[in-house]
Amino acid sequence: MDLSRRTLLAGGLAAVIGGTVVACSSGMDTGSAKKNATGNLALWCWPGGLGKSVLDDTIAHFPDQHIKFSEVGGDFKQKLLTTFSGGTSIPDITGIKGEDIASLLPQASRFVDLKTIGADDAFLGQYLEWKVKQATTLDGKVLGIPIDIGPTALFYREDVFTAGGLPGDPAAVGAQMKSWDDFLQAGVELKAKNPKAFIVADAVDMYGTIVNQGTSRYIDKDNKFIGDQDHIRKAWDTAVKAITLKVDGKNLGGTNDWNAGLDQGTVPTVVGAAWVALDIKAAAKTSVGKWRVAPTPGGPANFGGSFLAITKNAADPKAAFEVIKYMLSPDNEAKAFADAQIFPATPAAYDKPQLKAADPFFGGQVPIDVFGPAAKDIPIAYEAPLDAAIAVPFTDALKLVQVGKKTSDAAWAEAIEKAKQIGKRQGVQ
Amino acid sequence: MTKRGILSYWRFYLALSPFYILFLIFGLYPMASTILLGFQKWDGFSPRTFVGLQNFAFLIEDSTFWLALKNTVVLFFMSTVPTLAIALVLAVMLNSAVRFSSVYRIAYFIPNITSLVAAAIFFAAVFSTNFGLINSGLRALGIETQDWLGQPWGIKIAISTMIVWQWAGYNTIIYLAGLQAIPREQYEAAKVDGAGATRTFFSITLPQLRPVVLFTVVTATIGGLQTFTEPQVMVGNSGGVGQSGLTIVMYFYQQAFLNNDYGYAAAIALSIFMLVLLFTAINWKLVGGRGKQ
Repeated sequence: MDLSRRTLLAGGLAAVIGGTVVACSSGMDTGSAKKNATGNLALWCWPGGLGKSVLDDTIAHFPDQHIKFSEVGGDFKQKLLTTFSGGTSIPDITGIKGEDIASLLPQASRFVDLKTIGADDAFLGQYLEWKVKQATTLDGKVLGIPIDIGPTALFYREDVFTAGGLPGDPAAVGAQMKSWDDFLQAGVELKAKNPKAFIVADAVDMYGTIVNQGTSRYIDKDNKFIGDQDHIRKAWDTAVKAITLKVDGKNLGGTNDWNAGLDQGTVPTVVGAAWVALDIKAAAKTSVGKWRVAPTPGGPANFGGSFLAITKNAADPKAAFEVIKYMLSPDNEAKAFADAQIFPATPAAYDKPQLKAADPFFGGQVPIDVFGPAAKDIPIAYEAPLDAAIAVPFTDALKLVQVGKKTSDAAWAEAIEKAKQIGKRQGVQ
Repeated sequence: MTKRGILSYWRFYLALSPFYILFLIFGLYPMASTILLGFQKWDGFSPRTFVGLQNFAFLIEDSTFWLALKNTVVLFFMSTVPTLAIALVLAVMLNSAVRFSSVYRIAYFIPNITSLVAAAIFFAAVFSTNFGLINSGLRALGIETQDWLGQPWGIKIAISTMIVWQWAGYNTIIYLAGLQAIPREQYEAAKVDGAGATRTFFSITLPQLRPVVLFTVVTATIGGLQTFTEPQVMVGNSGGVGQSGLTIVMYFYQQAFLNNDYGYAAAIALSIFMLVLLFTAINWKLVGGRGKQ
């Protein structure tokens, strides 16, 4: 028994700590970028990040580069980070997800400033300005070229809307629900006719959308905490209004209730990025053809959308840039959309036939008519590296208001306090 | 006897070495590294900087940390106590002569080897509000349905239910092995002395099972204090409403792999280590003390 106890404890300790941190002293030598061997060009992206036909075509188009594509699944940023720390097998070109770009900007020394190898204003001008800004450091280095973007729209059930006394036509819906207040008002009318239909799928999600519609977020460029100011409080109050008007369905996207609700009409709207259409299509079975797309109340916002970047380890950054230039040209971005609904970051692609196609799922509507103008209109907001972490206390607190555990003011005060604490640890003033 | 140098035993050391080499690389080294990291600030990219006790100072002030700690301990009790009680009852039942006992044993053990993530997705579906199995049952009985995963206490119930489901069978098998090792004579003697079933259970079965109970309590403690997958899959990285499902390991994961604040995460990991140590010591005292009758 003694022996087994001891091994048990040792095993326990090893499990506690052994499983924890990757780490090691080799992570110490930063900045010293060893060049990769020439002859091969390693390209990393996550599954579904690049269009299949575009990728195959690019590999064939640059036979001399010997492009070696690795599809890296799981937590992409974590694996990239670990590889950087390890110091070997670092890719020449890597994808960077939209949600990770802000936290990688301080690591500009790991990446090539694309402006120095041919990304001039004329080239960058092909891409949406606000998207390029996301990959631009405060001192003007451009670290990534946009693969795609995630402009939002209001997806809604036309049949549920008309049965509930609301307009069914996308243009009329857009005209009536210009602001969030209009939208919530429509929600009250809808619920009066159909008590099971909640116009807001999830008020916490709605809060995130409203923050994304703004021109400032939680931290400003001087690294000051501004999450306690009016722009955030207004988003908060609008979400709370949805809760108090009882038009909030509390159906978090992707849950069973959300999936089932799409067909049953209890989730008659989804406000989400263009790629959310894939989720809706995957979950909806009986409501095919009954969905429509209208502009987002309160103006367009963006969720996600990624980049390709060149690491300092790249053997031949110029050649790597040529590959990116080709792969992310407006023509190829349009093809990637046809491949896997990867929404182009180049407005020129919006006129291509791949994007002009009518979608039977949306009753023959042409979604680009809504997404195209939205994409060009997305506000530019500075996103600090710590922004995502600071946002968490706000959504957590709002959830407590949603289930009636806290009043709006008490939850707000708690969110501010926690956010400040997280900021303080990381040197935000 | 001939004197032999330590080198002449090389075959034995070689035979023993695989465990120690693996332990050195995957056990001891990360452990030492984590302890060091607890006193540093590191985002995974930049050079590490030494910050002394700053991480721990933040930890003490961090209300989320204390909440996660509380959640972990509450979840531990809510899951471990029923798990072990149910396991003991099942084991005693299986130990009495039943037909097809190996079928039952396999059936009870299967949850333990089922993929955690798959099971967690299944349980999240069972507890979902409008279309979940539990609420359908409540509705059929005319009882008011609950928003299980949308309420702080509901989240805890859902998570601990899953842990009980997963671990009761495993502990049953362990207890069963322990029961079968108890000499039959003792039961016969008890019968001769006129002891009933209850008296026999408390005076013979339970004391004889003591080392086995210690084993299960210690493993359950180590496992229970590291609960991660169940809440993470069921209520997401934030821990759900009121962060009610946020366990200490999840908080550690958040800090390390979502916020890339490795130094702070290491400080949390060290606190988990201390907590496990503390609980194990308490268990040892409570259950393992060599009490004579």
